[in-house]
Amino acid sequence: MPKVFNWQINREMEYPYPASPPERQFAAVFDINKCIACQTCTLACKQAWTSGRGQEHMFWNNVETKPYGSYPLAWDVRLLEMLGPQTWDGDTYTGKTIFEAAPPGEVAVGFLPEDLDWAHPGLGEDEVYGVVEGGAYFGIPHQLWFFYLQRICNHCTYPACLAACPRRAIYKRREDGIVLIDQTRCRGYRECVRACPYKKVFYNGVTRISEKCIACFPRVEQGLQPFCTVNCIGRIRINGWIHTPDKADPENPVDFLVHIRKVALPLYPQFGLQVNIYYIPPIHVPPKFLRQMFGPRVERAIETYRNAPNDPELRGVLMLMGATERWVDKFRVQGDYVYGYDAKGNELVRVPLKEPIYLRPVYDRQFAVYRHNIT
Amino acid sequence: MRWVVLAVSLLAALLLASRQVVLAQQASEVVSVLRSGTLPISDPFDPVWDTAPAVDVPLGPQATTVPSLLRLSVPTVRVRSLNNGQEIAFLLEWVDETRDDLVVAGDRFRDAAAIQFPVGQKLPNICMGAAGQLVNIWHWKADWQRDIDQGFQELVHQYPNFFKDFYPGGITGSPPYTYPGDFDRAEVRQFEVGWSVGNPFSVPYRPSPIEDLKALGFGSLTHKDRQEVMGRGVWRDGRWRVVFARRLAPPDAESTDLRQEQVPVAFAVWEGSNQEVGARKQLSGFYTVRIEGQERILGIPRGMLGWLVGGLVLTVILGFALRAIRRRTTLRGHARG
Repeated sequence: MPKVFNWQINREMEYPYPASPPERQFAAVFDINKCIACQTCTLACKQAWTSGRGQEHMFWNNVETKPYGSYPLAWDVRLLEMLGPQTWDGDTYTGKTIFEAAPPGEVAVGFLPEDLDWAHPGLGEDEVYGVVEGGAYFGIPHQLWFFYLQRICNHCTYPACLAACPRRAIYKRREDGIVLIDQTRCRGYRECVRACPYKKVFYNGVTRISEKCIACFPRVEQGLQPFCTVNCIGRIRINGWIHTPDKADPENPVDFLVHIRKVALPLYPQFGLQVNIYYIPPIHVPPKFLRQMFGPRVERAIETYRNAPNDPELRGVLMLMGATERWVDKFRVQGDYVYGYDAKGNELVRVPLKEPIYLRPVYDRQFAVYRHNIT
Repeated sequence: MRWVVLAVSLLAALLLASRQVVLAQQASEVVSVLRSGTLPISDPFDPVWDTAPAVDVPLGPQATTVPSLLRLSVPTVRVRSLNNGQEIAFLLEWVDETRDDLVVAGDRFRDAAAIQFPVGQKLPNICMGAAGQLVNIWHWKADWQRDIDQGFQELVHQYPNFFKDFYPGGITGSPPYTYPGDFDRAEVRQFEVGWSVGNPFSVPYRPSPIEDLKALGFGSLTHKDRQEVMGRGVWRDGRWRVVFARRLAPPDAESTDLRQEQVPVAFAVWEGSNQEVGARKQLSGFYTVRIEGQERILGIPRGMLGWLVGGLVLTVILGFALRAIRRRTTLRGHARG
């Protein structure tokens, strides 16, 4: 089997095909700390792409509560259990990826969810980890925790769905690295559904073939960010073209968050797919839990994020999230503002690093009422 | 040393013996019996099928490529064949306790069976053909059969209480909607992408339960432009009986010409309950189908020879008759004159 280099596990690994990087790679960063699980992203996606007959159970974008939520049911814990305990040595993964641990006759470790596993997208919503003891009161840091995990297809560098398709009906676009299923060649074998560790390929029982997140490619081709990103009311998302760490561009917002500040991390890097959706980990969750999900760099990432008030550039990129529907290729912080530019250097957006605060008197003389909100 | 030699020769003998077993299997043939009249294409249980000799073809799990089948679920398939000099039909019969003909749910897989012939060359190296070695595959699917027998199967057939009040794209009518009827407009079909692009799995109108395919090696299986293979599958008392039928003459250059005395043939069966699909299947080695009536005498198929001789005799008789009539007319003309 060919060897490919996966920088997220800092080593070479086995993959059924030799490395063939696209000209540029679609990527995104999601800031978990800002998400309120309003599911506006989920509905924006659903409305745009999966309102058809046979797509009722599909959420190409979903937001689930961790640790108890999962869609499809137990997608993560089932695979972690199948993979078994694995090890990291510093930033290098010394365990087995899903390709390296593949049982005989299979491309990867995986499982096919049962039909009803897709029926509970809201399972575990807002359920906290732990038990509320008698006499407990609210304080900071929280005694109990949960957080929201926003999920779309990772448009992986080494996709398991693509590797598992015996028909090569799944391809990674050369121009942007978006992973698509050829709807004319798919025969509904569901090898991709079985192999994708994130369970982001969906079988359509009416068309009897499989479908997945298309990264809103018709928008991306026009220089627009996907619907899930631009509809996010919490402004937690930003898209960009990501480079490998050695070619990181400090003016590229995604490169900056992932490679320069290293504040955004891949989800389950140990699976070995070199994913392209990155997460700023939740700062209030025990690192022991987060290490399993985001790898060994998680504590450093949280530390960096906590320092954002003293880091104008980091603050700048965080402020750019959701500030424009255009695709931001470069950013620059100057004075009290962050500027977003397109590939040609045209200014797309200008956002203040600190939103101005206006204070109003508590008593409104004109209407003779007291204000509840004075900012 | 003597023991080593003995062990090696024993091993060699064993290997040879096992090889011979394989050779003996490969020598088996399916005889396609020539009979006049229409073939029992639409009824796999027609007693006419009993006139064709049955061959039990052993199947093995596919383990040449990934994904592979680890647990064999259908050890043999019984094969019969009939032809009438114009068309040929095969009957495949196998034991399957579970009838899997609804694949709407994501964890359900269909029962299926296939017949493979090489196109052009004598015998392809491996299954599914290879580069430059085209094969022609006829693939019967239990769910396609159910679509034909009971109407296109979709959500309401899997989930009887399914209800959805609205679909976008300007759908007309009111819920509960019927599929495909209410959805058969370009704007509404946009969300049924497989159907919009004409994927044969997704298009909800089925001309045949059998798909006519071509392949040039693993992963290259492709739906042919021309679809002429017909047939029918029926599940009864824990077994499937499936008829595959086509003209002997190939409809296109990608189909196997069956106007030959002997054609290599291989079989495959999928057991849906065992989640078998695609490469997860059991298959046979190459067999030979001997097609009665296609034996060549002076380069002409035997089946055609009878017609040819008959035609020749008829032509001669007609010729004589015509001459006799013409002579009589001439004589009468002379008499008048």
